[in-house]
Amino acid sequence: MSALVSDVGTRTAVAAANLVKVYGKGDTAVRALDGVSVAFEAGKFTAIMGPSGSGKSTLMHCLAGLDNVDGGTVHIAGTEITSLGDKDLTKLRRDRIGFVFQAFNLLPTLSAEQNVLLGLELAGRKPDRAWFDTIVDVLGLRERLRHKPTELSGGQQQRVACARALVAKPDVVFADEPTGNLDSRSGAEVLDFLRMSVRKLGQTVIMVTHDPVAASYADRVVLLADGHLAGEIDNPTADSVLSALKHLGA
Amino acid sequence: MLRTILAGIKARTARLVLSSVAIALGVAFVTGTLVLGDAMSAGMREEFAKSARNVDFAVTMSGDAKGIGAEELAKIRRTPGVAGADPRGFVPVPLITSAGKAKPALAVPLGSTEKLREYDLSTGRYPASDNEVAVDVRTASTAKLTVGGPVTLLGKDEQKREFTLVGTYQQGVGEMSMSGADHLVLTPAAFQSFDPERLAYQAVGVAADGYTQQQVTDAVAKALEGTGLRVQTGEELTADTLRSISSQAAEFTAFLLAFAVIALVVAAMVIYNTFTILVAQRTRELALMRCVGASRKQVFRSVLAEAVVMGFAASVIGLFGGLGVSALLQQLIGGFVTGGASPSVQLPLTGTTVLAAFGVGVLVTVLAAVLPARRATRVPPVAALRSQPDSSEEVSRTGRLRVLLAVLLGVGGAGVIVLGLGLEEQAAMMVTGAGTMIVLAAVLVLGPLLVGPVNRALGVVPRALFGVPAKLASANAGRNPKRTAATTAALMIGVTIVAMVTVVANSAKETANAQIDERMPADYTVTSSVPSRLLPAELATQLAASPAVERVAPTAEVVGEGAYFVAVAQDSLGNLFRPKVESGSLADLKAGTIAVRSDYAKAEGLTVGSTKAVKTENGSGDLKVVAIVTGQRLGDGVVTLETAKALNPELAGYDSIMVKLKPGVADSRAAVEQVTDTSPLAVLDSAAETKEQLNKQLDQVLAFVWAMIGLAVVIALFGIANTLTLSVLERTRESALLRALGLTRGQLRLMLVVESVLMAVMGAAIGLVLGVGFGWVITTAVSTDAVAVVLTVPFGQIAAMLGAAVVAAVLAAALPARRAARTSVVAGMAEA
Repeated sequence: MSALVSDVGTRTAVAAANLVKVYGKGDTAVRALDGVSVAFEAGKFTAIMGPSGSGKSTLMHCLAGLDNVDGGTVHIAGTEITSLGDKDLTKLRRDRIGFVFQAFNLLPTLSAEQNVLLGLELAGRKPDRAWFDTIVDVLGLRERLRHKPTELSGGQQQRVACARALVAKPDVVFADEPTGNLDSRSGAEVLDFLRMSVRKLGQTVIMVTHDPVAASYADRVVLLADGHLAGEIDNPTADSVLSALKHLGA
Repeated sequence: MLRTILAGIKARTARLVLSSVAIALGVAFVTGTLVLGDAMSAGMREEFAKSARNVDFAVTMSGDAKGIGAEELAKIRRTPGVAGADPRGFVPVPLITSAGKAKPALAVPLGSTEKLREYDLSTGRYPASDNEVAVDVRTASTAKLTVGGPVTLLGKDEQKREFTLVGTYQQGVGEMSMSGADHLVLTPAAFQSFDPERLAYQAVGVAADGYTQQQVTDAVAKALEGTGLRVQTGEELTADTLRSISSQAAEFTAFLLAFAVIALVVAAMVIYNTFTILVAQRTRELALMRCVGASRKQVFRSVLAEAVVMGFAASVIGLFGGLGVSALLQQLIGGFVTGGASPSVQLPLTGTTVLAAFGVGVLVTVLAAVLPARRATRVPPVAALRSQPDSSEEVSRTGRLRVLLAVLLGVGGAGVIVLGLGLEEQAAMMVTGAGTMIVLAAVLVLGPLLVGPVNRALGVVPRALFGVPAKLASANAGRNPKRTAATTAALMIGVTIVAMVTVVANSAKETANAQIDERMPADYTVTSSVPSRLLPAELATQLAASPAVERVAPTAEVVGEGAYFVAVAQDSLGNLFRPKVESGSLADLKAGTIAVRSDYAKAEGLTVGSTKAVKTENGSGDLKVVAIVTGQRLGDGVVTLETAKALNPELAGYDSIMVKLKPGVADSRAAVEQVTDTSPLAVLDSAAETKEQLNKQLDQVLAFVWAMIGLAVVIALFGIANTLTLSVLERTRESALLRALGLTRGQLRLMLVVESVLMAVMGAAIGLVLGVGFGWVITTAVSTDAVAVVLTVPFGQIAAMLGAAVVAAVLAAALPARRAARTSVVAGMAEA
């Protein structure tokens, strides 16, 4: 209910209008996104869900400026990004977007701390030390800062990735199957943290997942099927998501 | 299995191409060298064919015989069965150029038996009268002589003799023409008039009809019995000469092959590295093969088969490239010899060469792939189920074994060097040289341990300049020390050798320059342009009379038995001629005394006060030793001109005349030339000019070596490009992550360029340190009391090498960087 009726002070963090993305040409062309229009509120945790091939990852790539679109527009905090060149897109990602990927989030040659601060360094920005400490403590990484990624468990690696995504205080954090490679306990920790960063720190998080349990941590779930928007669920539970997916024929 | 292998090669073509280039370059070098050797050998044979054609018997000097004179020749000609015989000999006859100066030339007599002539008429005719001459085609063009025109030759007593040029001839490619001397043919009588006492070194003849080679040879041998001359059949002569020709060509080929071996070693390292990386990257694929039932042996064979195919393909390219290399080398060497004239290029391709090309190419590739192939067999089938490991993680700890081996090699090498330092001259150089190569091997073994600290030290500069991308690059260069070490080692070898040769050559140059300064305190030195002709004595008097000249100091040479001495005017001692006195005093050097050089004194057991008996061609005498000296241009000792005259009454003229000018003479050279122009033999050298000439020669040698080793360096750079390309492929996901996090395309490219530069500079820096150190060791080894070699480090050239390494590294990174930057972020992330 709250997602559709704008509360006073709610802003749109990310908005897509009529997004079209086509892979291939001619007979083999696949419309991965076929006119998707969707808005993501600031300060909310939104999950994008859908069966395999529904276009959820493509949507995230397009929203985050990782991939170019064949039609439509994407706005991030008021900036139209589909017309930006590679350099500006890179700058935008660096300054205004945080990423948590499924795997290979960290550079093996850098320590945990260096990985966390990498984005800021690339931007040439000085880290906010107090903020850095807050994040590190919340994520329980204090003891691990000097370790190389190979010396960290999968869950720890994902928490380092979360810390890196948040340390620059981005307009939006995109998480692509952040728990896909984790056991359920480690996965729950990461999801807890993402939810907390939204509730307590006012962060905006958009997460792609195929796991109904993971989706249940979100404030809102956007359902995607065959490149079209196929509905949404506010305040989802694992059950409500599962039944909605079943409904989609997944 | 074969299908899998071929499919694998097809899929990895791009990755294999770069390493193939490395091996192809090595093979091209080997092929080029062998073809060149064959071409030279063929060239010499061609020349020889001219000297041995139609010869049925040959008489050569041996033992005590001083040569073949008119009497022996008459005996030969009188022998029944001899249809014709001709002497072979030559006389140095200076040729006067249009500038009025003499240049050395060799005259030979025209053979009376046409069949026996060693040259073929090109234009005109052979000389028929005693004032006619024919010259070699090349001489005609370099001395700008035309048929029908005059030719001036310098007679025995410096008198000019006019001849008419009646023809030119071709003497073929061979030793004579390669020596660069000008060549001319005179009638036997004219030839005789230049040196009536000259004996022929050989006589050749043809048999009359009805006589076999053996019969006529036996007959001539009988006729010459007791003369000590050796008589052989034409066939024996041919066999003898062929042997010496092949060994000469083989020596030169071996010299070039040494460079080819360096290139191949470097290429092998590149191949080894490539296969190591490929196997690491294919862990999952290999494991899958094991899962579906491939045996260890099959996995091993599949990797080796890939190497065989690659080696074979590279050898084919290398073989044809080698023909090009050979043509290039012939141009280069021919250019040196003929002074720019374009030499004829021959490309004989023998079966041996083809076999060697394929043998070397395939063998080196396969050997380089054996270790990686073995590693491939250790991949367990279960690895297929695990996620692809980052091959940078399989960095094995640098074992104690490695350190132990390095220490052993290092100590061994140092031992050999110390041993070599105790030896002298050539032996010292060879042994210390071998020692340095062992030390080089020690450093190579230690390589992976050096990468970390060297990388950290070198990374400081780019980190300060370029920030994050450089930091990442430095981390990447250091992430797999073994791989980085193997990549940089190839470059290191090349740079070490180049730096070593450069340091030694520059030290030699500086030493020679210092020697020139020492031995030429004079402003000018006048010498003879024709080595066998002395400067006339009156020239010294004329020079001394010139108003511009302060003093002159003529020198002569006294050739004794097994030794030669330098004779100088007594009044030039201590001013224009100043050897270092170890004991005794030069003030005592007058008629009947001698100052001997220290090492000769040591060898002969002479001290101040002892007596030295000297015997020359025309006289002898006992000389009292008054001083032991060291320095340059002393021969085995120094005597005064009076002593020289006493020892050799026929001594007429000087070897050189040193000239010191009065201060403030405006155009000094012109002042001296005014006097020397009267003598066609006199050549004027100033210390500066001598240095310049010498430096030019050394620089040419150095340039040649640079060019030869340059190939190894090029191969090493291909190795860097190759490693970088493979690493980029391996790190596709990582690059994509960095791009997602905000690394711009430019920064990504910069990162790879810096990584490339770091690797190149690492190899170059270690190589330079080693090379300079080795150069120091070798110069110390060859340095003696008499010739103290000054270590000279050519900082300019070293900086140039480093600069070149940086530029080359940037080029090497160009393609991989382009490729990495072009990969889209999403595609990169999707890469398994």
